[in-house]
Amino acid sequence: MKHLIFVIALAGAFCGVWLHAQESTPTILVSRQLAAQEGLNVGDAVELATDERGGKSVAFRIAGIYEPTPDPMRLGAVPREVRLHLPDLLALTRDESTPEGTEHVEAINVALANPEDASAFAAELNAKMPGILARTTSGAAGSGTTFVVLERFHLAIAAVTILASTVFLLALTIMLVDERREAVGMLRLIGLPARRILVQVLLEGLLIASCGAVFGLVLARGSEYLINAFFQWRYDTALVFVRVTPSVAAVCVAIAVPLGAVATVAASWALLRRSGLRLARR
Amino acid sequence: MKPSAPLSPTVLSTTRGAFAFAWRSLVRQPARATLGILGVAAVGALLFDMLLLSEGLVISMRDLLDRMGFEIRVTATDQLPGQGQDILDGADAASSIATLPSVRSVITMRTEDATIERPDGSELRTSLLGVGGGSRRPWTVIRGREVADTGLEVVVNDCTATRLKLEPDATITLRATCARGAEAPPPVSFRVAGIAEFPFDTPGSSETGTTAAALAAACGADVDRSADFLVVTSTGDPDKAAAEIAALRPDLRPFTNEQALSQMERGGFTYFRQISTVLTTVTLSFALLLISVLLTVSVNQRLGEVAALRALGFSRRRVVLDVLSESALIVGIGGMLSLPLGALLAVWLDQILKGMPGIPTSLHFFVFQPQALWMHGALLAATAILAALYPMRIVARLPIAATLRNEVTG
Repeated sequence: MKHLIFVIALAGAFCGVWLHAQESTPTILVSRQLAAQEGLNVGDAVELATDERGGKSVAFRIAGIYEPTPDPMRLGAVPREVRLHLPDLLALTRDESTPEGTEHVEAINVALANPEDASAFAAELNAKMPGILARTTSGAAGSGTTFVVLERFHLAIAAVTILASTVFLLALTIMLVDERREAVGMLRLIGLPARRILVQVLLEGLLIASCGAVFGLVLARGSEYLINAFFQWRYDTALVFVRVTPSVAAVCVAIAVPLGAVATVAASWALLRRSGLRLARR
Repeated sequence: MKPSAPLSPTVLSTTRGAFAFAWRSLVRQPARATLGILGVAAVGALLFDMLLLSEGLVISMRDLLDRMGFEIRVTATDQLPGQGQDILDGADAASSIATLPSVRSVITMRTEDATIERPDGSELRTSLLGVGGGSRRPWTVIRGREVADTGLEVVVNDCTATRLKLEPDATITLRATCARGAEAPPPVSFRVAGIAEFPFDTPGSSETGTTAAALAAACGADVDRSADFLVVTSTGDPDKAAAEIAALRPDLRPFTNEQALSQMERGGFTYFRQISTVLTTVTLSFALLLISVLLTVSVNQRLGEVAALRALGFSRRRVVLDVLSESALIVGIGGMLSLPLGALLAVWLDQILKGMPGIPTSLHFFVFQPQALWMHGALLAATAILAALYPMRIVARLPIAATLRNEVTG
């Protein structure tokens, strides 16, 4: 019995020491991509060093695997990253000549009690501390401007595409209206006024344009899934490349339907100005 | 080797006749022909621009790197210059690399943020570049002279000179913000030696260049041997020089210009190549669909006419050739118009994209290359043929007697 108690006590002490060692090992988070490439799992012990030879390595335990925040500015670069607590990083990277507590950091993020004071706070800090540069997050977000520019670029491409579509649409409607020249002539001859026929053409144009717009949205929705799936696979990222939002869909419909209707009416206009006899003549 | 046989006069005459006939068909319906051609011109212009965009950034960046005259960039990590860690012993690394037989010259580059005090007390933010280790400079002096190797002198870009109304020999007070060195270095007076053009000048941004020693002084340090990266000129073989540098300093990463471009292509540049591919595909599909519909409707409206021509003795091959010639004329004329239109559109789109922060003035997204012109022509020719396939099939299988009877009795 005494032996058993002794063995249990010894095992308990060993577990305690082991658990303490586990707890005292600093922890890190590993990006999903790095974990997949290196076969790392939560709870694994790893060593990090600042040089390739592994000198001055420090042991860490993987506390979790994280999905990196998608960053369009780093598209194509597989994020092989780990996240450390700042004191652990400073301890790992500090050179011998730097006393502890005097290391430099690249940036400090400040959350204000009142975010509207950001500009005033940055200006005050710049005036009081000449060695640092304080900027509001909106001012520092150069990448934000990048996406504004890209949006402008996409709008320009869309404008050219709409222009080309309009020209083609006009050509097609002219041909289709021309095909119905005799039918329109007969309608005029049996007494239907030009205005009545124009309304009919307009309604027909609206119907066709609406059907086309709905088909276009369905196509866009389908291609949204395909494009996102392809590029997310291609770049190993969670970034969303195409998103058909309700506002985008509304803009498309608001452009496509009136454009289709106007093109139909414009193509019919010249035809309806001619007399019924001239139109019906073979 | 047997010389290729010339086209027989009959084939030439048939082709010429088909084109003349197609031309008359287009002229007879001016509105639809004009709109069709204009549509192709607009689509072709977009296609041309996408072809220019697919390689434009890479060509422009290669040109920019080549013009700087340095063939290798050496960094502390796998990141491209300006994106990774500093080389802490940059000056020593430059000295040892300069002794390699395949290396002609090495200079260190280090950039820090700084502000220049204006006479009215306000400040102009600038980027202060310190160059050390050799006599070559990455900038080109356009007025005044080069900075002296000793003393506190700078060259400023045109934007800085204009905004501060500076001329050579003026004095400015500069306060640097440095990653290492004194926490808040005192302001330092510099003499403006000249006005210079910096290769990576961005529109509206202030750039200042000086020596590494003067930059260290601005940072409040007596000596600072660190560098953001090193730039190297080889004696003629950059690959060999890069290999020697990698062998000498395995902790550093040398990039030849081609390797740097390749890394950029895999990184941020890839977006433009992808969008170019997607838009090229969409544009071509769009053009194919619309030209095909235009020709099909046009042919359907002229079935009686085609049947009458067949009855008069036109061969099946000839009427098919007429449809193909009509497609070729619409796409050909539209394609020719698309080139000047595309050039104008490229200027506009380039201006939009250059609004992105950090894009050097001399970098362009749309760059002309003869290969793009050939590709444009080939893609449009393929579109013309593919678009004409279905209407050609209609006229080829047209039953002459039944069609004529329908025309008379319909």
